[in-house]
Amino acid sequence: MLEMWLSGFQGLLHVDVFLFVILGMAIGLIFGAIPGLGGSTAIALLMPLTYSLEPFTALALAGGVMGSVPMGGSITSILLNTPGTAPNAATCLDGHPLAQQGKAGLAIGAAGSANAIGAIIGTISVLAVLPIANDVVLLFGPPEFFLMSVFALIVVATATRGKMLRGLVTGAFGLMIAYIGYNDIAGGERFTYNIEYLWDGIHLVPALIGLFAVAQMIHLMVKGGSVAGSASAVKITKMTAGLFETFKHLGTVLRGSLIGTTVGAIPGLGGTVVAFLSYSVTAQASKNPESFGKGNVQGVIAPEAAICAHDCSALIPTLTFGIPAGAEMAVFLGLLIIHGMQPGPLMLRDHQVEIYGLIWALTASCVFASFVGLAFVRVLAKITLIDSSILVPLVLSTAFAGSYAIDMSIENVVVTGVFGVLGYLMMRYDYPRLMIVVALVLGGNIERNLHQSMLMGEGGWSIFFSRSISIFLMLSIVAVLALPLFRALFRQLKLRAVPVGSDS
Amino acid sequence: MQRLDVEREMTKWTRREVMVSAAVAAPAVFTSRGAHSAAAFPAKNIQFVIPYAPGGGFDIYVRVVTPVMEKYLPNKVSIVPLNVASGAGSRGVTQLYRSRPDGYTIGILNIPGMFILQQQQGSTAYDLNRFTWIGAMGEAERYFINVGAMSPIKTFAELKALSAKRPIKFSVTGPEGTAYMATKIGAQLLGLKAQLITGYKGSADYVIAAVRGDSDAVVAAVPTTLRFRRGGQLRPLISFEPHSSIPGLPDAASVGQPELENIAVERLVAAPPGVPADIVNILSTALGKALVDPVVVKWAKENDVVMKPKTPQETVAIVTTQKAFFEKWKTALSAS
Repeated sequence: MLEMWLSGFQGLLHVDVFLFVILGMAIGLIFGAIPGLGGSTAIALLMPLTYSLEPFTALALAGGVMGSVPMGGSITSILLNTPGTAPNAATCLDGHPLAQQGKAGLAIGAAGSANAIGAIIGTISVLAVLPIANDVVLLFGPPEFFLMSVFALIVVATATRGKMLRGLVTGAFGLMIAYIGYNDIAGGERFTYNIEYLWDGIHLVPALIGLFAVAQMIHLMVKGGSVAGSASAVKITKMTAGLFETFKHLGTVLRGSLIGTTVGAIPGLGGTVVAFLSYSVTAQASKNPESFGKGNVQGVIAPEAAICAHDCSALIPTLTFGIPAGAEMAVFLGLLIIHGMQPGPLMLRDHQVEIYGLIWALTASCVFASFVGLAFVRVLAKITLIDSSILVPLVLSTAFAGSYAIDMSIENVVVTGVFGVLGYLMMRYDYPRLMIVVALVLGGNIERNLHQSMLMGEGGWSIFFSRSISIFLMLSIVAVLALPLFRALFRQLKLRAVPVGSDS
Repeated sequence: MQRLDVEREMTKWTRREVMVSAAVAAPAVFTSRGAHSAAAFPAKNIQFVIPYAPGGGFDIYVRVVTPVMEKYLPNKVSIVPLNVASGAGSRGVTQLYRSRPDGYTIGILNIPGMFILQQQQGSTAYDLNRFTWIGAMGEAERYFINVGAMSPIKTFAELKALSAKRPIKFSVTGPEGTAYMATKIGAQLLGLKAQLITGYKGSADYVIAAVRGDSDAVVAAVPTTLRFRRGGQLRPLISFEPHSSIPGLPDAASVGQPELENIAVERLVAAPPGVPADIVNILSTALGKALVDPVVVKWAKENDVVMKPKTPQETVAIVTTQKAFFEKWKTALSAS
């Protein structure tokens, strides 16, 4: 076992292989930063290039791309409120407010270092779990997926404290649009109004580009000026400031990495939910949850650590069963098969060196990308000083072009436009956007897995009570629901004890 | 509403067509050869439309075969894969159907998947019978009925005995998938009472469902079955092939149900209606040579796929057979 890890690592030390990791990293950073592109596009475009490469080198290249995409995506999320990739949408929530306060450098530094630590923790977990991956993955079936999705939805919903009703409204709206399109269970289309495009439902990435990037640009246009207000507002941060910030919040990093690793190993939820889940749990656990959404650096660290850890551990179901965790992994599966490696139970036996090489490449790329991010912090932070009359047209055209480029359909652009206006209105009237994203991702999961559970259990609910993980998840849901009640009770008791206490 | 959509699509097409034809016609004016001259074909890159997202089975076949196919074209051009996945694949089919019949746009189609899709969407934007058929990427994939390795069911006879007591639970995709059709028709031909657990996303997903015990059994294509059997996770019980590729199992011949053989997935290569025969011939020959090229043969062997060239005529015959088979079972499929 150990020598396989090492030989995977040794394989990377060849100059040509290493150069391909670096090439992959550079491409991943750029594709990650441009909304709509992302890892799946990058790997699809690179595929023909890999035909002439050794499988090991091809995987190193792919690992390089996958490792640096989150870093690229976080940069645009922080500077422009434009999630480069779907999971980075969670980074926008606090990353962009930090940029508005002139702390973009700090946020990027924190994102980068959280990324790197998350990847390292994720890698260690993967290496530890991979030998028993088969058994772990098989423990989770439709009842568990259903409950996990409900759990995630509830955690995120209860994290919007103080705006509970607004959170529920946007969550319900997200669920409504999640059911547009083809019905996986019974067949036939729903709410598509004869529009062919809607057969696949509302696509997540164009919607996200609208909700975050376009909405923010409308806001900036109305407000005028630049992202960070004035030049004097931009704090000259040292390269290492963000790094230190991450180490100050090591607990947040660990929690995020743990969430990312655990959920990544189980196919079904995906990176976007993981990022929002990690963000919400961190906000829940925080002593001053009110500071989230207004520029709390923990709101950057938590999702970024989770995304990278998730990407590492998502390799487990992808490699051992050929079940891709997201679009990026689906393309990556194609790459494996083209190079004669069939993902599945035999993958671990027949291609160990390649797998460990891939994992090392992914981690190395994540760490290098963070260094690149850190090195350019000061230059990047200047973007927040560009006047809106220049910035808005640039970002808007990139956003719409990126949205079109996803699958060359003009309807994507329309979705981005509609969600842009919607997102702006939500910002304006203070409706939380995170619920809409999570509901949109999880709506289909919840319906499908509930339906499958009921079919498995021949129409009875007892299936949920006869499986131990399922019972554990139900108890967790009860606990999460009870938490705000206890908190309120606790506060009342405290208020009664100290009558002059302030309400928060 | 429906008509309006068609009209809108038509105008869009015309506009694009004008642009494309202008671009194509311009060099033709200066060269003495006509646009349809087979001697000049191919004079520029060929676009290969894949109506599915990158990474799926159809996408992989195209990406493995086309670089080799380029070598066997008379002129040195590239074959460029283009994924048009929107609308569950209908966007890609429509685009292929409406492109210029000059051989520079070809694509891969899932048969009977496209029949099922068209029936479900009620689309009239394309007519599958009118495509120019060029060949097939590999032999048709037939199916096995499998159970998970941990299942108490050991033989097909035991499965049948269970079916007499209660419906067999099968894990499968939604009704749009070819696996759904295979499960439904297969169970009916074999006299099994079936209860379908639908909604799984692709073959790995529904096979794993059977392995971990969501369902009693699963109908999976031959390559998938062989792969998971080697991994010790699936136990095949019966083959839909005329003669089982795993020795010792009951098959279509031994259970006296030759119709099982028609349950298959075909990966057919098509061009828009009306491509001149000489150009079809060039493309078909190049495809045929690519399929027996050592590179493709090696890949096919690693992946339990059988690559066998098909002439355009043979391909048309496959479409006709599959169409008739689909028509026969269509009503049984929609009644769920």
